Amino acid sequence: MKENDERLMRALERRIGRRDLLQNGAAMALIAGLAGCGVGNSSSGSKEETEKPIAKKVDGDLLYFNYSEYVDPKLVKGFEKKYGVKVRESYFDSMSAMTAKLRAGIAYDLIFPSGEYVQRLISGNLLRRIDRDKIKNVDTVYDYFADPWYDKDSEHSTPYGMYATGLGYRADKVTGMTGSWLDLGDADSDDKSFMLDDYQEGIGMANLVNGYPLNEVDEAKLEKSLDYLVNLKPKLRGISTDTITNMTSGNAYIQHLWNGDIVNIRYGVDNPEDFKFQKCKEGIPVGSDNFCIPVNSKHPGTALLFIEWMLQPEHAAQNVEWIGYPMPYNGAPTEAFQGLVKDDPEINVTVEDLENGQQYENLKGEGRLAWDKVWTEFRVS
Amino acid sequence: MNENRFASTFLIPGGLWLLALFVVPVLLVLGLSFGHTDDLGEAIYGFEFTNYERVFDPDLIPVLLRSVGFALATVVICLLIGYPVAYYIAIYGGRWKNVLLALVVLPFFVNYLIRTYAWIAMLGDDGLVNGLFDTSIRFINTPYAVIGGLVYGFLAFMILPVFASLDNMDRSLIEAGKDLYGGPWQTFRHVTLPHSYQGILAGAVLVFLPAVGDFVSASLLGGPEDVMIGNLIQQQFQASDNWPFGAALTIVMMAFLLIWMSLYLRSAAREAREQEA
Repeated sequence: MKENDERLMRALERRIGRRDLLQNGAAMALIAGLAGCGVGNSSSGSKEETEKPIAKKVDGDLLYFNYSEYVDPKLVKGFEKKYGVKVRESYFDSMSAMTAKLRAGIAYDLIFPSGEYVQRLISGNLLRRIDRDKIKNVDTVYDYFADPWYDKDSEHSTPYGMYATGLGYRADKVTGMTGSWLDLGDADSDDKSFMLDDYQEGIGMANLVNGYPLNEVDEAKLEKSLDYLVNLKPKLRGISTDTITNMTSGNAYIQHLWNGDIVNIRYGVDNPEDFKFQKCKEGIPVGSDNFCIPVNSKHPGTALLFIEWMLQPEHAAQNVEWIGYPMPYNGAPTEAFQGLVKDDPEINVTVEDLENGQQYENLKGEGRLAWDKVWTEFRVS
Repeated sequence: MNENRFASTFLIPGGLWLLALFVVPVLLVLGLSFGHTDDLGEAIYGFEFTNYERVFDPDLIPVLLRSVGFALATVVICLLIGYPVAYYIAIYGGRWKNVLLALVVLPFFVNYLIRTYAWIAMLGDDGLVNGLFDTSIRFINTPYAVIGGLVYGFLAFMILPVFASLDNMDRSLIEAGKDLYGGPWQTFRHVTLPHSYQGILAGAVLVFLPAVGDFVSASLLGGPEDVMIGNLIQQQFQASDNWPFGAALTIVMMAFLLIWMSLYLRSAAREAREQEA
């Protein structure tokens, strides 16, 4: 009973999902960022600064910057107790807002960027090198992340939560799921299908449906992907990142979402077994968020200790259950997520999924603009 | 002379405040609107007009019209709901006046975003309202829900100025109207309503401006078609990382509203003066 209450509270607390863009504070970040951006190197670090080795010891309170509800608060409390420090938590609502604040010169000790942003921050010399040998249990991290495309030899980042994008659906309401992305528009969801309001996931899905690579930028091909999206639109009820609210409120029977959202939705409903996840046969977008230490961190030693704290298998396992997203560490954390989704293993993200999946990359100038235009045209169509 | 100088020192704090937190940011946005993004999406100041060419794409016209339409509908509904409330509190509130006013303001202690989320819980397919009446009406993800959310969000901005204008009206004017054989409706039309023009005017502006640039309501309560200009701007800043285009959208939006508002205010103020005279 007590556990149920706790679950309910937790579900209520995070009806506002992981990637929600709408919280306050973003405006301040934008203003700060406006002042900081484009003024050349003053907002970037220097290469030597990033190379300085970090001594793994308590060197002050931790200023932590993350999505809200994305680390088990009990683990944060435990860390404070063990090391006698305060963890001052600050939240961002989008990667863009996060970089804006970093570039405005605010000194955080620990941030959680996605792969693309790791690459961007590294290119701006904004991330400290993390000496992997100093972190206990770093060898449990999946080999897949040993040399990721965004961070050579994983020198500046350690993976945190990982995800696969797919379709969540109500097994008790929807008929005609075929394992394809097309189900979003074509399965019978009683007109309750929601697409993610995320330009990458939207265009990525359209590219996969058309048999193109996830990150396709060819203009003629993108035109085809736009056609697909425009034709899909009338079949949708909404375009929204509030996946958890949409599904728990019964407004959505099929929802384009990240796999961990389904776990969080299941925490908040009476009939969790009816909420399923489908990875689609045309291709699976995958990715991870990462621990990184900004170059202007004042307490990098404490940050390193925090990463180590989170990598401890029993802590990671506990965290996986709380955030509802898998973490790419062998052993207890992997088993914890498997246990969480044993009735629908499809929700899991396996090493094979990662290897077969595709990650969103930083598109270069023209390609980036082309994607932005496709999405804007789709939204105003 | 001396007194004037003394009075003008009062303008310094407010002036500095506006300079730092309004003028400077607007100038930064203006500067950025002529810029572009580098290969990794970081914004760079420049001097080019490509962003403005994109803003004046005819595809965006429906979005602009929709935003203005939603905002106008919001103003009208806020007036229809808010005026009687303000009227009642001002004329019949008596010793409860302050309590009633506090009740009007009370919902504003809760963040607009949270209140909008509450609507989803309340009006969802399996939500409170449908449960209560055993119906299955789809309120959410419709243009009506968007307008409803905007009305709910900004209603107090109409009630308060209208209340203020009615509250300081001399009650004997109403009696005088009745003495002159005016019925209740005629008295209202020729005495009370003209007296509250300034309040309505202020309320209309206070509701229209935040409503036309809002993105929360459309994003949470709208369907796929209900995109407002605020959603496009928000997308550029927070998702697709094209700040220069977002900045250009912002500037054009501001210019459009500035022209529109100054014309509206001028003609409405003239009308109000004539009514009062």
